Amino acid sequence: MNATKITIKSLAKSFVTFRGKVDVLKSIDLEIEPGEFFVLLGPSGCGKSTLLNLLAGLEKPSGGELYFDQELVADSVGKFSGPFERDISMVFQSYALYPHMTVEGNIAFPLTNLPQVPSPKVMQAKVKEAATLLQIDHLLDRKPAELSGGQRQRVAIGRAIVRNPKVCLMDEPLSNLDAKLRNEMRAHLKDLQKKLGVTTIYVTHDQLEAMTLGHRIAIMNNGVLQQVGTPVEIYRAPINQFVARFIGSPTMNMLTGDLNEENGSLYLQADTLKIKLPTETACKLKPKNLKKITLGVRPERLYVITEGEQNLALPVNVIENVGPEFLIYSFHKQGQIVVRTPDEPVGDSLCLALDAGHLHLFDDQGARINL
Amino acid sequence: MTREEIIRSCLIFATGLFLLAFTLGPFIWMIWISLADRADFLVTGQVEYSLSNYRQVLTAHSLHFLDYLSNSLWISTITAIIVTLFSSMAAYAVSRMRFPGRSVVPLLILAMSMFPQISIVGYLFEMFSKAGLINSHMALILPYIAWTIPIALWINMSYFTQIPLDLDKAALVDGASRMKVLYKIIFPLALPGIFSSALLVFIACFNEFLFAIMLTIDYTAQTLPVGIALFQGLHGEIPWGNLMAASAIASVPLVILTLIFQRYIVAGLMGGAVKG
Ligand SMILES: Nc1ncnc2c1ncn2[C@@H]1O[C@H](COP(=O)(O)OP(=O)(O)OP(=O)(O)O)[C@@H](O)[C@H]1O
Ligand SMILES: [Mg+2]
Repeated sequence: MNATKITIKSLAKSFVTFRGKVDVLKSIDLEIEPGEFFVLLGPSGCGKSTLLNLLAGLEKPSGGELYFDQELVADSVGKFSGPFERDISMVFQSYALYPHMTVEGNIAFPLTNLPQVPSPKVMQAKVKEAATLLQIDHLLDRKPAELSGGQRQRVAIGRAIVRNPKVCLMDEPLSNLDAKLRNEMRAHLKDLQKKLGVTTIYVTHDQLEAMTLGHRIAIMNNGVLQQVGTPVEIYRAPINQFVARFIGSPTMNMLTGDLNEENGSLYLQADTLKIKLPTETACKLKPKNLKKITLGVRPERLYVITEGEQNLALPVNVIENVGPEFLIYSFHKQGQIVVRTPDEPVGDSLCLALDAGHLHLFDDQGARINL
Repeated sequence: MTREEIIRSCLIFATGLFLLAFTLGPFIWMIWISLADRADFLVTGQVEYSLSNYRQVLTAHSLHFLDYLSNSLWISTITAIIVTLFSSMAAYAVSRMRFPGRSVVPLLILAMSMFPQISIVGYLFEMFSKAGLINSHMALILPYIAWTIPIALWINMSYFTQIPLDLDKAALVDGASRMKVLYKIIFPLALPGIFSSALLVFIACFNEFLFAIMLTIDYTAQTLPVGIALFQGLHGEIPWGNLMAASAIASVPLVILTLIFQRYIVAGLMGGAVKG
């Protein structure tokens, strides 16, 4: 197995346009382990494809360094090796199949560029192997125009894996497939990566894809890395409000307000809503002497109770039955609050309890407050 | 069929018929005259049809028809090849690479083609006289290249910009050199554009008259349009039959070329490159 470690050191990229300089990536630091399935997650336009292009050797960095294993492959001073020297392959956001070649021609194309071109027989065998792995071996003599979206996507992956690259880069390869096919391909991809053991960097703006595929996830916004970690780490302890909102569906509920102390208990007054913080949280929060905070709590961590001490009460505005569970929406000045519960709610208001272990607190800068 | 549909198809049919008559009419007349033994047959009503005009044009040395034809073919072919080569590479560069002035260069080139031919032909004559090029193939090939490159560049550019940039990147990632990307991926996909520009350049050169008449002197370099225009009858009269026969033959290469090339000038070659 030839898995490669990738080290990214304060990598930056700016484009000079006639409207001025655009800083697309600002000092990215990352280490990607050999054989890792690493996911880059971020909203549209945050610079994911740009970072991928830098890794691929299709763009030159404007600052910082890039190492494959111990070898420097690009810096801003002059060292630069192209995509082929880096031995990477890439699946493009737009597939980028060669329309005038058959599926076989497309998958074989990287092999024809090797320093020692394999004999036609070897080449055919390799193409066949990759195609079989992806279940497209019956399509080999078709042209891309005669394929469905999912088939094209698999051809693009076949082209990327056929010559056993050191690193495989994927730019939103599933973004244009329908939901069912996407789920199927997701599982398929994960399995494939495990089999091949190749270091893979996968770009997506779909948090579900990131959570299910990645060994580790890096979340980006506006060209800045926000948080790097395993899906569980990021889900449990988002480092700031942006990450908290980006990961998880439905989105985490966020309420901003002032802290007040009454009768020894700590309350968060979010406009009209008064929330009593759990005693444990209150104890840890008091010494910090904060005035204004944002409370984040995931929909499944708002517990509907019928008796006992409640932390907050909400009016019920909309109920959605999504199969195994119910989503209850309550409209609030700061946006809607969603509660996720297995039982159908009764009445037009909810009594809710909070669990100190599943609260996320953020300061007025949006950064996480660790208790 | 509804009333509307009937009117519609009538109008389409009538327009088509008119256009056909308009374009083919002169051509048919040309063939007709070339087959008749005298040009005034419509007035006098006395006529005999034969191929004698064609025979004369092809065999009479004094007419130099074959010289003109070979000059034309050589000059047009060489120009078309050179122009296609340069314009397609330029189009690749302009559509793919980031370099200063990349949006200005095509406009400048287009601007140059706006000078009327007549305004530069005098200077060209002087320049080529000094260089001793007058009455050579070069005297026509050089100006033809300059004259047709803008249109070829713009046609090619419109085709090249339709090819997604991701295809270049994919090929580079797959290990192809820039040159290989060009001839394995980009050129095959831009083929319809390259062929149509080549064909247009060829036709333009084949039909060009002004440069040809000013910069050449005799049959060693004169092209068909000039040669045919200068046909002289024995007694100074205009030999309409010969003229028309020569014109008919001259159109054969163009018809053949168009038939060959039009197979390649098909749209839809790009299907399947990207999502959707
Ligand atoms: N060549 C360029 N010149 C100027 N700006 C550019 C260039 N390429 C990208 N950008 C800018 O950089 C930003 C990031 O682009 P990028 O393609 O990396 O986004 P992305 O994260 O891949 O988004 P998406 O999810 O939509 O693909 C965008 O705002 C874009 O406008
Ligand atoms: Mg992108």
